[in-house]
Amino acid sequence: MSMTTTQPAARAVEVRKVYGSGDAAVEALRGISLDLAAGEWTAIMGPSGSGKSTLLHVLAGLDTPTEGNVFIGDIDLTTLSDKQLTQLRRDRVGFVFQAFNLIPTLTASENITLPLDIAGRDVDKSWFDTVVNTVGLGDRLHHRPAELSGGQQQRVAGARALVSRPEIIFADEPTGNLDSKSGAELLDFLRSAVDDPRQTIVMVTHDAHAAAHADRVVFLADGNCVHEMRSPSADAILDQIKSLEA
Amino acid sequence: MLRATLKSLFARKLRLILTALAVVLGVGMTAGSFILTDTALKSFDNLFGDVYKGTDVVVQGTTAFESSGQNNTGGGSERQPIPASVLPKVQAVNGVASAVGSIGGTAWIVDPNTNKVIQNGGAPPIGGSWDVGTTTLQIDPGDGAPPVGPNQVVIDAGTAADHGISVGQQIKVVTIKGPAEYTVSGVAHFGASNSLLGATLALFDLPTAQKLFDREGEYDTIYVKADSGIDPNHLAASVSSVLPKGYESITAASAASQQQDQVSQGLGFLRTFFLIFGFVALFVGAFIIFNMFNIVVSQRTRELALFRALGASRRQVRTSVLLESIAVGLIGSILGIGLGVILAFGLKALLGALGLKLPPTALAIETRTVVVSLIVGIGVTVVAAWVPSRRASRVAPIEALRESSTPDSSIRRRVIIGGIVLALGIAAIFAALFGGAANPGALVGLGAALTFLGVATLSPLFARGLAAVIGRPFRRTATGRLGDENAKRSPRRTASTASALMIGLGLVAFVSVFAASLKASAVKTLDEVLRADLTLSSNQFNPFSTHLAEQLRQDPNFSVVSELRQTEAHVGPSNTDTFPVAIDPATFAQVADTTMTSGSLADLSEPGAVLVSKNEADSRGLSVGSPVEMTFSATGAKQLHVVGVFENNVILNDYVISIATYNANVEQPLDQNVFLKYAPGVSQTDAKAELDAMLQKDYPNVQANDAAASKQQFLDSINQLLAFVFVLLFLSIIISGFGILATLWLSVFERVRELGLLRAVGMARVQVKRMVRIEAIIVAVLGAILGLAIGIVFAWALQRSLSNLGITELSLPVGQLIILLILAALIGVAAAILPARRAAKLNVLEAISYE
Repeated sequence: MSMTTTQPAARAVEVRKVYGSGDAAVEALRGISLDLAAGEWTAIMGPSGSGKSTLLHVLAGLDTPTEGNVFIGDIDLTTLSDKQLTQLRRDRVGFVFQAFNLIPTLTASENITLPLDIAGRDVDKSWFDTVVNTVGLGDRLHHRPAELSGGQQQRVAGARALVSRPEIIFADEPTGNLDSKSGAELLDFLRSAVDDPRQTIVMVTHDAHAAAHADRVVFLADGNCVHEMRSPSADAILDQIKSLEA
Repeated sequence: MLRATLKSLFARKLRLILTALAVVLGVGMTAGSFILTDTALKSFDNLFGDVYKGTDVVVQGTTAFESSGQNNTGGGSERQPIPASVLPKVQAVNGVASAVGSIGGTAWIVDPNTNKVIQNGGAPPIGGSWDVGTTTLQIDPGDGAPPVGPNQVVIDAGTAADHGISVGQQIKVVTIKGPAEYTVSGVAHFGASNSLLGATLALFDLPTAQKLFDREGEYDTIYVKADSGIDPNHLAASVSSVLPKGYESITAASAASQQQDQVSQGLGFLRTFFLIFGFVALFVGAFIIFNMFNIVVSQRTRELALFRALGASRRQVRTSVLLESIAVGLIGSILGIGLGVILAFGLKALLGALGLKLPPTALAIETRTVVVSLIVGIGVTVVAAWVPSRRASRVAPIEALRESSTPDSSIRRRVIIGGIVLALGIAAIFAALFGGAANPGALVGLGAALTFLGVATLSPLFARGLAAVIGRPFRRTATGRLGDENAKRSPRRTASTASALMIGLGLVAFVSVFAASLKASAVKTLDEVLRADLTLSSNQFNPFSTHLAEQLRQDPNFSVVSELRQTEAHVGPSNTDTFPVAIDPATFAQVADTTMTSGSLADLSEPGAVLVSKNEADSRGLSVGSPVEMTFSATGAKQLHVVGVFENNVILNDYVISIATYNANVEQPLDQNVFLKYAPGVSQTDAKAELDAMLQKDYPNVQANDAAASKQQFLDSINQLLAFVFVLLFLSIIISGFGILATLWLSVFERVRELGLLRAVGMARVQVKRMVRIEAIIVAVLGAILGLAIGIVFAWALQRSLSNLGITELSLPVGQLIILLILAALIGVAAAILPARRAAKLNVLEAISYE
């Protein structure tokens, strides 16, 4: 018996998502099922229109599925009210978006502690310091986002996602707006979070190099899971994408 | 370009409505002021037309000037009575069909149910003769008959209906000869309407009227009816030739228009008064329009830059913004005129609450009202949009590609411009208050407007700092911190939104502080000056019969009975309108301490003597011995000489004459106040009770107040006026509330992504609402603090400038000012409701999705 059969951090069961109705109806997810193991970094890839962003939103409790169930831990998100979903996002989930990740009126450090502040929870000072050290912002902690570079801003967003010790972090094209050097820095930072505190990360990306940092890559097409790879190289991923698009 | 403008305009309907609202209320108040006064004027025209319907020519004593209508003497202007011997001469003139003598004066009807005198605000209680043959009053069948004999009276149908008086009933009527019981012989009305605009009518037969109004062997007016085919102008001239000197004969038409002029002058004051509040509201609205257009220009920077990149000239861009402002102004003005109709009803009700009843006539909406409203509404909008339109025209084509918006104009320029405007404003106020300017009222208004503008221009400099102080209590929570940061993020926007509220609350604070100072000063001077045990006055400060004082002189309970009367006169070379007070120099010193700076009060008993207040003496260069020409309406110009100068106080006006001089120049003497002192040794409680019982029985319009009650009566009258002004200023405050709403609404749209992010990372809807609310509260309280500061400074300046008029105290009504701060916070909360709901309802997914 394997020791790794622990409960997955998040799970999608037969999830369908339909936008619009009648003739205009678009089926973004077509009965997809997916387990996301705890302590693992999963990348979700696929051509545009494959439903990868929708899947992320549904998994993260930002959107509700038309059919099927979504779990974070053992909580079925489809049974939660809007208020409970908000609390779940606040207390158990972390986010890194492609852009507009930070509140412009708050300093970097205030942005990092924002979810804790909203919840009215105390900040674990030593954990905060650990996270900030990993981010490598140094003296720029008390600057506002406008005074930070794009890479620094995304790393602040990453630190914000980590600081509340969420069960799972969702990242939506986190490197999409960054140059390759800044992108690499952010990915290294996320990698270290997975390696050391065993943080679960789910990341949507269309960048094979970004996906190559993950433990597992899931490929989507037409609202379904079509393939998956473990610890792939960037080249292997590119080949797989080519075959999907062919 | 025009099409693009209109498209973007209607694409954002809500923004359009919110911006237009800023104009609507101001224009509404302006239009309402015009509509109300035009309507009132029209009903007075109808009334006077009715009054003179059966008459062609009117014979009356000449008058030196028409009363301004501000003195509560009860009747119109004062004229000499006509000797009875003139009537046969008039009747003998060729072309005269009939001529009757008529008596007019003041007579108060007592409500038989409440035993209180019926008097509706400033409307006169008219008494007089039932003019057989010429009256246009009608007594309908079943409503009784004209009065006959010394015990009958006819009253007007309106009063009869309002107070449940019926034909045959015994009622009490008070005239200058004192109270008496009469039987109502009939109930009469004018033409179709019962309304006399609040006036009451009590008419007696001619001999009774002559006795009651002290006109035995005399008439006040002779009404002449011409033979058919005779031109009234011609007849007026022929009648004139038989009249002794001092009398005139005019056509009924010109008599009516004389009275109309008098009324329209009185209504003119009212209109100006209301218009001031309309302009304040427009001024506040201008700030909001300015702010809205500024925000919109910032939000549309990319779009405007795209226009520029596609080849639109700067001018075209500016024109497009100005066109938008014209559209907003037009829509706002049209809605405003509609609102004006509603407000006219509201103002009418407000005046009704103050006792100034206007009849239910159709509203008069003149072309002038519409034109002025449109010009003012569109004008204000375009002027307010001018600066934003220039800013829009400076958007460079390259900004279409950039993320950032146009940088703010330099701080230095702002400081210089704001500083200059503020300095000019303060200078204008001081020139008006202390410099003896020709038209101080207008100059104060201009100065106040400039001061508000200057402070508003400078306010972004300290908005951040002030907001930080106000926001501190909120910073303990994340939502509070975010709300506070939002209030501080754009100091210009916050400052100009707050400035709109600053104006309304500034004026409220000014009025509160000034009124408190006025009260404190009045109470102090009453304490220092008034020595009477009791002061008699009528409700609403109308004058009353001198018969009462005569009766009290026989009363052994009182050792001193001193009367104070008031009339209207013109003084000096420029014929300035003034309201001289008449006192009895022998007894007045026992009931009031008058501080003389020169001369003596006792010398007022000399013939032709006048006392002058120190303030008036200083400004006119008068001293003991100076001649003063005083013109009375009935007797014309009289040469008086100054025998003393006194410190101003609340009891006396600028000029004081003796009762003897007053009686020689005023036709129908009335008392304004009677001051009493108890005789030594009498039980004061019993004496007061006896007096109260007598007043209740015979003079129900008069009350006896001891010193404390006198003060209270004075304070009550100020409070009533204060409440009235507050209601009118409330309109401006509502507009600034809308301003906060509109700014927040636009800000919410600007911050869609931010709000989406906050929701995504776990901010609950209630927290989002709370965040928006806190921002609104900070902005509102910021405006309130600025407003209170300015209001207090204004009140201080006015109090200093009036200190020589007896307003010596500066009193800060701390409780009221704190209430204003709380009110401002509540306005913030109310203004935040819609934007907060909008912010909380944002779709998280749409907000965070990348375009």
